[in-house]
Amino acid sequence: MAKDMMPAFELYQPDSLDNALELLSRFGDRSWIVAGGHDSFDWFKDRTKYAQYVIDLNNVNELKGINETSEGIEIGAMTSLTEIELNDVIRQRYSLLSDAVSRVASPQIRHIGTIGGNLNQDARCWYYRYGVDCYRAGGNSCYADTPEGQNREHCLWGASRCVAVSPSDVAPAMVVLEATMVIASANGLREVPAEDYFIGPNIDIERMTVIEPGEVLVSIKIPNTWANAMFYFEKVADRNTWDFPLVNISRAMFIENGVVSRIRMAAGAVECIPRRLSVVEQVVAGSELNEETAELASQAAIRGATPLNFNHFKIPLLQNLVKRALRA
Amino acid sequence: MAFNLIGKNFTPPDIYAKVTGKAKYAEDFKVEGMVFCRLLTSTIPHARVSNINLDEALSMPGVLGVLTADEVTDTDIMDNPILTNHPKFIGQPILAVAAESEQIAQDAIEKISFAIEALPFTVDPLESLFPGGPNARMEGNVANPGIEPEEVKWQVSDFVAAGENHLPMGSPSREWSYGDLDNAFASSVYILEESFVTQGLSHNSMEPRTALAYWDGDKCILHASSQSQSFPHPGVASYIGIAPENLVFIAEFCGGGFGSKGGAYPYVAIPALMSKKINRPVMMRISRNEEALIGSARPGFQGRARLGFDQNGKMLAADLYIVQDNGPTNGFNDWLSAGDALSLVYTPNAMRFRGIPVLTNTPHRGPQRGPGQNQIANAIEPMIDKAARELNIDPLAIRKINAPNNYSKYGGAQTSVTSAYLSEALDQGAEMFNWNERRQRSGQRNGSKVTGIGIGTAYHSAGSNGFDGLLRIDTDGILHIHTGVGNLGTYSHTSTSRVAAEVLGYSWDRCVVERGDSSKGLPWNLGQFGSNTSFTMTRTNYAAAQDAVIKIKQLAALRLGGSIEDYELQNERVQHFNDLNLSLSFAEVAQIAIDEGGSYSGLTYPDEINPMTKRAVGHLAGSGLIGVGRDNLARSGSVAALAAGFIEIELDLETGDWEIKDYVGIADCGTVLHPLGLSHQVKGGAVMGIGLAGYERHIYDPQNGLPAHLGLCHSKLPTYLDVPSEMRWGAVALEDPENPVGAKGIGEPVQGCASAALLCAISDALGGHLFNRTPVVKDMIINFTAGQEQSYGPLQISSA
Amino acid sequence: MITQAKTSRRNFIKGVIASGAAASSSAYMFGVSGCSNQQVSTGGVERLISLNVNGMTRNVDVLPNETLAMTLRYKLGLTGTKLGCDRGECGACTVLVDGVNLYACSLLTHTARNKQITTIEGLESSDGILHPVQQAMIDELGPQCGFCTPGQIMSAVALLSNNPNPTRDEVRRALSGNLCRCGAYDHYINAVMLAAERGI
Repeated sequence: MAKDMMPAFELYQPDSLDNALELLSRFGDRSWIVAGGHDSFDWFKDRTKYAQYVIDLNNVNELKGINETSEGIEIGAMTSLTEIELNDVIRQRYSLLSDAVSRVASPQIRHIGTIGGNLNQDARCWYYRYGVDCYRAGGNSCYADTPEGQNREHCLWGASRCVAVSPSDVAPAMVVLEATMVIASANGLREVPAEDYFIGPNIDIERMTVIEPGEVLVSIKIPNTWANAMFYFEKVADRNTWDFPLVNISRAMFIENGVVSRIRMAAGAVECIPRRLSVVEQVVAGSELNEETAELASQAAIRGATPLNFNHFKIPLLQNLVKRALRA
Repeated sequence: MAFNLIGKNFTPPDIYAKVTGKAKYAEDFKVEGMVFCRLLTSTIPHARVSNINLDEALSMPGVLGVLTADEVTDTDIMDNPILTNHPKFIGQPILAVAAESEQIAQDAIEKISFAIEALPFTVDPLESLFPGGPNARMEGNVANPGIEPEEVKWQVSDFVAAGENHLPMGSPSREWSYGDLDNAFASSVYILEESFVTQGLSHNSMEPRTALAYWDGDKCILHASSQSQSFPHPGVASYIGIAPENLVFIAEFCGGGFGSKGGAYPYVAIPALMSKKINRPVMMRISRNEEALIGSARPGFQGRARLGFDQNGKMLAADLYIVQDNGPTNGFNDWLSAGDALSLVYTPNAMRFRGIPVLTNTPHRGPQRGPGQNQIANAIEPMIDKAARELNIDPLAIRKINAPNNYSKYGGAQTSVTSAYLSEALDQGAEMFNWNERRQRSGQRNGSKVTGIGIGTAYHSAGSNGFDGLLRIDTDGILHIHTGVGNLGTYSHTSTSRVAAEVLGYSWDRCVVERGDSSKGLPWNLGQFGSNTSFTMTRTNYAAAQDAVIKIKQLAALRLGGSIEDYELQNERVQHFNDLNLSLSFAEVAQIAIDEGGSYSGLTYPDEINPMTKRAVGHLAGSGLIGVGRDNLARSGSVAALAAGFIEIELDLETGDWEIKDYVGIADCGTVLHPLGLSHQVKGGAVMGIGLAGYERHIYDPQNGLPAHLGLCHSKLPTYLDVPSEMRWGAVALEDPENPVGAKGIGEPVQGCASAALLCAISDALGGHLFNRTPVVKDMIINFTAGQEQSYGPLQISSA
Repeated sequence: MITQAKTSRRNFIKGVIASGAAASSSAYMFGVSGCSNQQVSTGGVERLISLNVNGMTRNVDVLPNETLAMTLRYKLGLTGTKLGCDRGECGACTVLVDGVNLYACSLLTHTARNKQITTIEGLESSDGILHPVQQAMIDELGPQCGFCTPGQIMSAVALLSNNPNPTRDEVRRALSGNLCRCGAYDHYINAVMLAAERGI
């Protein structure tokens, strides 16, 4: 429980990626990378997670900024959410991303919160955050998936000992935009498609991305594939600011000759990873957009959903969001 | 009445400090040698702690001492203790550690070991009332002020008879009735019966209850977060275990209380006792989550109402049953106030109230803005709309036909009210809101959105009497109005003080409000809660001013000749009616008062004033002309503060989102003292009401007793974007006859009328569906519109 | 589960990106009475740093784990920056860092080195003239209890420096990271609109 008094740690503020990676190698599993800091400091203040060596990336300027490339754009992982929200190229060509980013948390958090931090944030399951010894925290039970568990915010798919969801508003947009995540380590760079970047508890219950110890997310490449598509983003949350999604939806689409030529959709907060709505895409591609298509797509979207005690509202909500995304 | 000051806006003396950051709240003080303490709190809902081993903690460099439950002042067994080895809710303080820094204190807490025995617990009153159900504490499962703790288990047959959809109604702790209930129901053409749940709620004041204490000999100086100044003083002294005259209590600013910091609360004693023990000034900074657990909470209700109406919508009969989630201590009397409020707001011809306060292992329950009145407004108002729909009556008309007036009776004892103008408030609001036209928009579709219209009404007893007023005119002729009112942010410390200036004919720039620090000599005043200040403290200041008027005239007559009837007050002078040469300035009068002594300068004072006021007068004696008096003005009934709210929303059936398109709040608060301040109350109350009806949660995992609502994000306090950016307000402004300037309070019903209006509007948008539950949150709306069952049972708590 | 004899301290839980381990010894933090035997850092940042606060350079000894809110309040005596939640959820600690409104409770002081920090105490001009937002807050009776007011004002100042003529809706969006439990939102927006109207 929150005592709001961080324990001691040593702080390093490297000014280059190389230095950061060197520190990571040196301190290994005793280190913790901080980007915007909001997620990290909560853990420290709660004293539910500890770090001996904190590596603050705020001075690593090479990880900041938005660059146009021949293949699309590349966003440094330490770029603030506000910068992304206000970037002209993104607003013009990838407004899905600026829309999604604009709904993250609050202005102050978006000003310093980074795209890397948002995509790498930890599970928001309140039991896990409370500090109970659940599976995700290295224990041997799940408090949320019980007969009386308070699991209104939890998952419809992909439960595997843990029923937490991906809390990011931006991650589904990255999946839709077919972004590539560029990861650095002392061994060099590797690239992972956004769709493979996020992992569920069936793969590793103690982390939510493929990032390994010693690795850092350095940038996100967004290809031209979906530039200037018709975009739709909607987030339903309890509050209109500073809240996590109950469900969010991202869609990119092209229409040619009255029919959907290409479409890609993903939803957040329904699974531990952003849920690609491939079945919806299959139903819709090649069809005209009408109420019938929307209805069919919304039925397809919820196949296999397994609600918990308090979250079955997410099924009609996701259906409605799919329909709205296909009406717009 | 025509006033010079009352009813006009002014620049409050404390606002400059608020906008510059100079306002000092308890946590902003720093004294030489100050150290910090932090709390070890219970991680389980009901437990017994023993074998506490402090050795490792005490041996850490920088650790200065530990204060345990064995060392603190004893409190009544059913009161909230200062520290305890028998915690009854998660977050309850067990001990405190003081150290040179907060981090050391926290590190030391992690080094303390103890044995902890988990005891049976409950977070659900109905579970505790079921035969064999757990009791929240050894003394039993039912208690309240005036009700000794006892164990009450209902019959299984009570539960079976009620079924799953209705509240079981076993033997109550309290019951009252008036009128012939059976006959009234028999005469009714329409009867509805609904069971309902209203949530408990943390107060979530922005400023946690941080406190700083140190000692000067026998005197304890305490900086605390308190919404009241004088009222908690004796209680705080008692918690610390000292005589009131040895406590300097400083509460000049308070970052919100909403009832949770109205009276004395035990935790302020921790830094005081720690400071005494380690001989250093001690700052106890309370974290947000600690505040959410020790800062008390509104009791939740599980209730059932049966209401009977005639064909015109007049409520003939009301039968109300409330099971109150009382927390683990004596709690508060919300359940009783709920019954009283129903009796007044709808004036049923016959009514029965029954209720029972049931203990749970959740935070201590205390008053929160409209305690009982606002929960019941939220429960009953949508039912009133249902009756209106069934009887084909306009929602405005059904409220007007049931609205109280100056002759209406209140509560089980059917006592009187001082004034009640709810019908006028409804009329005024309907006109501002353009009710008749707006009403036509009900149910209008715009894509997936539908318009809903709602009215809400609410009540609170808003005034008291018998407290003291105190003022001083110094030899420069400056008027010092001493007030023991707190600083909750209503500016009533000044708006009520202006009554003294008004009576004495003062120019406001020659007046000073003395407040916020007991060493300034402050009178015994009621706390700043219960919507009472506007009524209660205009009377005390009126009493003090009247005393001053007489003394000024007496001194003029003494010095200039004639009798007091020959003199009047004009332009801060006392003036003979017939002889313009016979005149004294107030500055001169003050000097004469000092010269004459006696009661004029406060060397003597009326015996009937409170000991605190006597000390205050003693403190000021000889420094000017003293006006002091007990408010002995007549008061014959409940001071009925009433409010009406009107709301239009657009609700999206697909997402459960709703947006408030317009809000109008109307206050029946008598004479308006301070228009901008009143605007703040009506609108701010509405924001909090919107939170109560549509956002805020108080969730416990029943298996482990864990709170799920910690953190402001999880409590869902409404933000800028969840409320209208502009709201409208008005006031009936008909004088209350039992207040010398016609004023009465309003702070609480302006929340309840807004929350009830919002619930009615949501119900209206959904074709009259009643959720019978607060808050109404998006998942409930989505489940309803999707035609699927709700995820909670009808009487289940902790579900939103 | 949670029934533990010792305060829960679960070590070695993997972190988000890298892994965490139990921190070593205790360190002194925020002692105000001149305690000097503070933990000596064996590496990492220099603790003695210069901060630019309200146009003045302040030399201050800052622990690695110290937030800007703590430094301002307890080391520099700038208590106008309030701690309402210490979690970046309420906005009472909002300050400007290089003109951008941030939550000072959730920013390490070391991260704010070499930047211009402005707190509520830095708005008033040296001749005592209030910032137009502050003056408008008085004229429109912006605050109720006042605890969130400094943070509200800092967000408003940041807004008006970028957008001197905002709409009402732009104001409430810009201030939406600042909670007010008293519900003074309407009055606060009125004040910001008045300040914009008067010009800053």
